[in-house]
Amino acid sequence: MNLTINGRTYQVADDPPRVLLWVLRDELGLTGAKFGCGAGYCGACTVHLDGVAVRSCQTPLRQAAGRAVTTIEGLARGEALHPVQRAFLEVQAPQCGWCMSGQMMTAAALIAANPNPSDEEITAALERNLCRCGAYARIRRAVARAAVLACGSGEAA
Amino acid sequence: MSQPPPRRWRLSRRGFLIGAGVVGGGLALGVTLGLPALRLALADAFEGAVPPTIVTTDPFLWFDIAPDGRVRLAVPKTEMGQGIHTALAQIAAEELELAWEQIEVVQSSSLGPVADNFGTNASNSVSSLFAPLRETAATLRELLRVEAAERLGVAPAALSAAAGSFFVTAEPQRRLSYGELATGATAREVPPEPPPLKPGAAWTLIGASLPRVDLPAKIRGAAIYGYDARVEGMLFGAVARPPSLGATLRRVAPGDVAARPGVVAVVIERDFAGVVAESRAAAAAAVRALDVEWIEKPPLQQEQIEAPVRAAPGRGVAVQRAGDAAAVLRGARVITAEYRTPMAAHAHLEPQAALVDVRPDRVRAWVSTQYAAGTAQAIARALGRNPRSVEVIPTYLGGGFGRRMISEVAIEAARLSAAAGRPVHVGWSRAEEFQNGFVRPPTHHVLRAALGPDGRIAAIEHSQASGDVIFPFVPAPIGAFFGADFGAWRGARITYAVPNITVTSERVPLPVPTGAWRGLGLLANIFAIESFIDELAHAAGIDPLAFRIAHAGDDERGRRLRAVLAEVAERSGWGGPVPAGRARGLACAMDAGTVVAHVAEVSRKPEGGICVHRVWAVVDPGLPINPDGVAAQTEGNICMGLSSVLFERLSVRNGRFAADNFGAYPLLSMRDAPAIEVTVLRSGDVPYGVGEPPMGPIGAAVANAVFALTGERMRELPLMGGNSNSPPP
Repeated sequence: MNLTINGRTYQVADDPPRVLLWVLRDELGLTGAKFGCGAGYCGACTVHLDGVAVRSCQTPLRQAAGRAVTTIEGLARGEALHPVQRAFLEVQAPQCGWCMSGQMMTAAALIAANPNPSDEEITAALERNLCRCGAYARIRRAVARAAVLACGSGEAA
Repeated sequence: MSQPPPRRWRLSRRGFLIGAGVVGGGLALGVTLGLPALRLALADAFEGAVPPTIVTTDPFLWFDIAPDGRVRLAVPKTEMGQGIHTALAQIAAEELELAWEQIEVVQSSSLGPVADNFGTNASNSVSSLFAPLRETAATLRELLRVEAAERLGVAPAALSAAAGSFFVTAEPQRRLSYGELATGATAREVPPEPPPLKPGAAWTLIGASLPRVDLPAKIRGAAIYGYDARVEGMLFGAVARPPSLGATLRRVAPGDVAARPGVVAVVIERDFAGVVAESRAAAAAAVRALDVEWIEKPPLQQEQIEAPVRAAPGRGVAVQRAGDAAAVLRGARVITAEYRTPMAAHAHLEPQAALVDVRPDRVRAWVSTQYAAGTAQAIARALGRNPRSVEVIPTYLGGGFGRRMISEVAIEAARLSAAAGRPVHVGWSRAEEFQNGFVRPPTHHVLRAALGPDGRIAAIEHSQASGDVIFPFVPAPIGAFFGADFGAWRGARITYAVPNITVTSERVPLPVPTGAWRGLGLLANIFAIESFIDELAHAAGIDPLAFRIAHAGDDERGRRLRAVLAEVAERSGWGGPVPAGRARGLACAMDAGTVVAHVAEVSRKPEGGICVHRVWAVVDPGLPINPDGVAAQTEGNICMGLSSVLFERLSVRNGRFAADNFGAYPLLSMRDAPAIEVTVLRSGDVPYGVGEPPMGPIGAAVANAVFALTGERMRELPLMGGNSNSPPP
């Protein structure tokens, strides 16, 4: 079957049945989406399917077929970072960084759908992305900042 | 073109610097004092001391200068989010007179260039490496100066350095870059005497909030962690896990597992069964298909874990003694309280992972480990190899928190790779992470005190009991020598000026593996002590802030504590108006040389439970190398600490830890994370650690705020109780 990931087409076997996360990480070498719990609790594996944030550890591969998969590796446009990445860098949000791909992908989907999220909307969107290092205060700040940066540059998508 | 002369790789005469001779000095004392007194003397010596470290000061091991002038710094410590690569680069670039863009960090492996005998832990990376790294960088700078002086035909003192070049001070256009000087300089002998160090007043990089060097890769998803390590031709491994705590392997029948599609090797050894396969899923399925018989112990229950942890005055080993607390308490009106903290999981979000390539003549391992040298030794032991033939290359770590001082996964991958003859990656599942390895031990604390007629503490006694923290990691004779686990009593000593103090620590061996968890005993001990200090303040009828300030000592640490308390009072508006339905609590700690105080503002949630709205934190790490990094570590410690004190309790049921995933072991989420305002103070020219100290006071700050709000004294963690790790529906 064909998978379109970050604008590129990959040919992968559709048997045995498996979830998107491990195909990305172990078969296609895209290790930006992280494994944290395998059960949908932590959000470290978050990617976009047609722009919507999903947990790739809970996404059957077939569900990704024919849709645009975006991972953290595809969030930037070449050298130009996505506003969410710029904001996370500016705020120096990540600590260990393991949860951050998921945090940023969730934030990017939020801002695309809601260019001017309130504090409560940020919390509602991000509260299922766990961060054991406890960088929540900065993540919150970075998402709000990303919305401002995206607004200014018109690159929310 | 002439060949550059070969680099002269050798150790200089002052090749190794041994930090803080606490243990050696203590051992000498012991000859005359006897064991209990020696233990006390050692505990006194440990107070605020930098743990001993042995590290090379050979600049040609630490640094490599490229022809374009970029300088590579080989850091011995691993990056797990604490920003250590950045802080060490700042220290080095400062002393070397480099522009910030000219320095680049590379991770040392277990074989060097800069080997680390200690691991990355105990908040000691900056504090232990500050002096040797400065001295080493200054040595290299002076070698470059001598080379430049010779080449430019001027006296060394006539030269100045800036942005990676030496120039004639009076004729700045006459200059040579470090890239041009490197070959000549590195052929020179390192002088025996220490070089002059750059004075603090001239620092521009130390003390600056420079951006983290590891973040550009991390925000692109390009940083490589242990779980991301990949090499050509690698396979995946999985290992059979015991069905219950303490179970050992009796017999394994491979059956037809080796013939399953994708399976490359079935590895059965005396105490180990695993499978190597073409995919992670095939390896896991094949392990499940093995017919394994285990020797199980009678199933452990929670009552067997916490009940034996019971402190009592007069038991355990004295780790602090001043005056005669027992005598003062005998005739006095004694205030007493007991506190308890539960078992906890580390719950770093990247489960353990390693990629190991075992070849006939050498082993290479990429591991998210806090302790490359220890992991290399463990692999060498498991394979019967010479440790010098094993190279452990630390990747980035997806959290560490003490759990990655031991990297069992690397040994597993090594055994599988040795059997399969191919590189093997093993990554644990979340359930494997919860069920295997070690946890933070439960603790119990009895505090007793008497107040004098002036409202001051006349005597205080802290008796604590804990499962093992550091003893599982040190040779048994060291444990026997110390008697009480010095990890367990970290933070247990009373740091206030009180004339009569007794602190004892009792070691309680437990039937579950326990060990180091961020801050070791700090969170538990400071929760108990700082809650109790609050109780004493209320008993004395004195404001908790004033009470603490009144008990701060007259020495330097006491002055630093008073300054931190005054600052947190100022920032939080202590004593001023508080929003309706909310109250504030204060707690502080001195740990690893760093002084910290938190004020927490809480309310009751309408549905029950505690809401922590805001935390004001003030931290004095002596010299903050990177103030924004200090602030980030403080914020993180507060949130991870809050997660633990509000929600986390790991229990045992029917021989297993009663959580396999975050459903039964919930972590703090953004929903419950407070707004945090951090103030970083500088009190001197020596940096202390910040990786753990700011976690210490958060439990008591919240519990004290709850008391201020409701009059209810919460003496057991987690404060939101009740989480018995019930299985998810």
